[in-house]
Amino acid sequence: MRGYFSRHAQVLLATIGDIVRDPVGSALTIAVIGITLALPAGLFAALGNLDRLSEGWHRSAAFSVYLHRQTAAPRQVAAAIGRLPGVQAATYVSPAAGLAAFQRLSGFGAALTTLKRNPLPPVVLVTPRRETPAALKGLVQTLKATPGVALVQSDLRWLERLHAGLILGHRLAILLTVLLGLAVLLILGNIIRVAVMNRATEIEVIQLVGGTDRFIRRPFLYAGALQGALGALLAFLIVNLAIWAIDGPARQLAELYGSGYRLEGLGLHGFWWLLAGGAALGWSGSRLAVARELRRRRLT
Amino acid sequence: MIELRHVFKRYRGGADVLADINFTIEEGEMVFLTGPSGAGKSTLLKLIALIERPTRGRITVNGHDLTKLSRWRIPGFRREIGVVFQDNKLLNDRTLFDNVALPLIVRGIGGHELRHRVQAALDKVGLLARAHSYPLTLSGGEQQRVGIARAITNRPPLLIADEPTGNLDTALSDEVIDLFREFHEHGTTVVIATHEKRHIQRLGKRVIALSRAHSLATA
Repeated sequence: MRGYFSRHAQVLLATIGDIVRDPVGSALTIAVIGITLALPAGLFAALGNLDRLSEGWHRSAAFSVYLHRQTAAPRQVAAAIGRLPGVQAATYVSPAAGLAAFQRLSGFGAALTTLKRNPLPPVVLVTPRRETPAALKGLVQTLKATPGVALVQSDLRWLERLHAGLILGHRLAILLTVLLGLAVLLILGNIIRVAVMNRATEIEVIQLVGGTDRFIRRPFLYAGALQGALGALLAFLIVNLAIWAIDGPARQLAELYGSGYRLEGLGLHGFWWLLAGGAALGWSGSRLAVARELRRRRLT
Repeated sequence: MIELRHVFKRYRGGADVLADINFTIEEGEMVFLTGPSGAGKSTLLKLIALIERPTRGRITVNGHDLTKLSRWRIPGFRREIGVVFQDNKLLNDRTLFDNVALPLIVRGIGGHELRHRVQAALDKVGLLARAHSYPLTLSGGEQQRVGIARAITNRPPLLIADEPTGNLDTALSDEVIDLFREFHEHGTTVVIATHEKRHIQRLGKRVIALSRAHSLATA
């Protein structure tokens, strides 16, 4: 087992050596892969930011639940609503508190004191959990059916639009990822194919002295995976640099809308995904290329 | 050790290179394979080393029926035979040590044992001092000896050589053939393809002669 690992470590070191020995060629390969991977990675980062932005909007998507004025125990109803699944918070606003707030905010303070009785119903302000528009619609139905509830005021249409837009964006990002992933596969496959052809003599001799296909394949698989991973690393840097560059203007824009929103780059999670994806694409690309070349070069 | 029964070889679109070849080589024997160029000596060795497959007929080498050997077992089979090529097939971007080590590395042998066996093989062919030179800095005879060292590092029971003295002068040529005789004396089965009658007369070993007419005469 130790021999197995040390052999793999040797091949890995030799592969790194090959990359270092041809810095220009390797840099070009890695740059091509990096830029190719940066496009879908950047799109995913943008979607992540939109997603976070919509989360901010979600919080303001509160429902106003008006209770019947005759409801005997409005606080209990509010508490029951608070326990419903999908409800993050339910705040009870009594008619008196509502009137006080209205007086304070509306500017009709003096006029309102002439009213003989408080015309406002008890209200429960409901903050929903982050859910799909469909689930929120379901919550509205549940609220409407809750005993004591007179009216539920909600505006889900813009949330639905945003949600649909995000779904579209995700679909596009996946499509782009598949296409550009395929491009990386082909780019690396072709580069490895050339590498295999350059080492035709070596491969022949290895076959003649009893080297297995696996043995022949190994350094090429390492080279592919390593270049894919380095390309992914470059893509990560490109995306985060780009986001860093537009963060300033974006923050200004957000401030004009009274928001403290900030752009976020690809985090640790994105980093690992990108790295694993790049390495896997490189590995598969060279695997395909080497398999094809080995079939062509089989001696018997 | 080697048995051929009704072996034919025909390349696509050509005439038979080998037709109905039959012979047996016993374990521990040393045999010369002769015949004019074009008689199929190289082809016959390639069939024995399973570099090519016969069109028809059965070949048994070291207990393996080559017609039934699956693709996955070929590397294992090749490790049981040492092959010396006419054109050496050395890797010019690697040192003698690395060239000779290749059959061992391929088997996963490393560390002390690798060093020991490579040095022993290079010592055997008298090139230990040049272990860290590159093949192109060597003379033709020396390169041929590196090829022999690579063929024996695995200590194979069977050694086959295709015109190993092809472009060497008389003294060097004798030296190489004597090296093969030494392995034979240590129990290795040796098959050498050559067109030089001198070695055959000098060593007095069995000869399998291929004629251009593709029929076989055994002396």
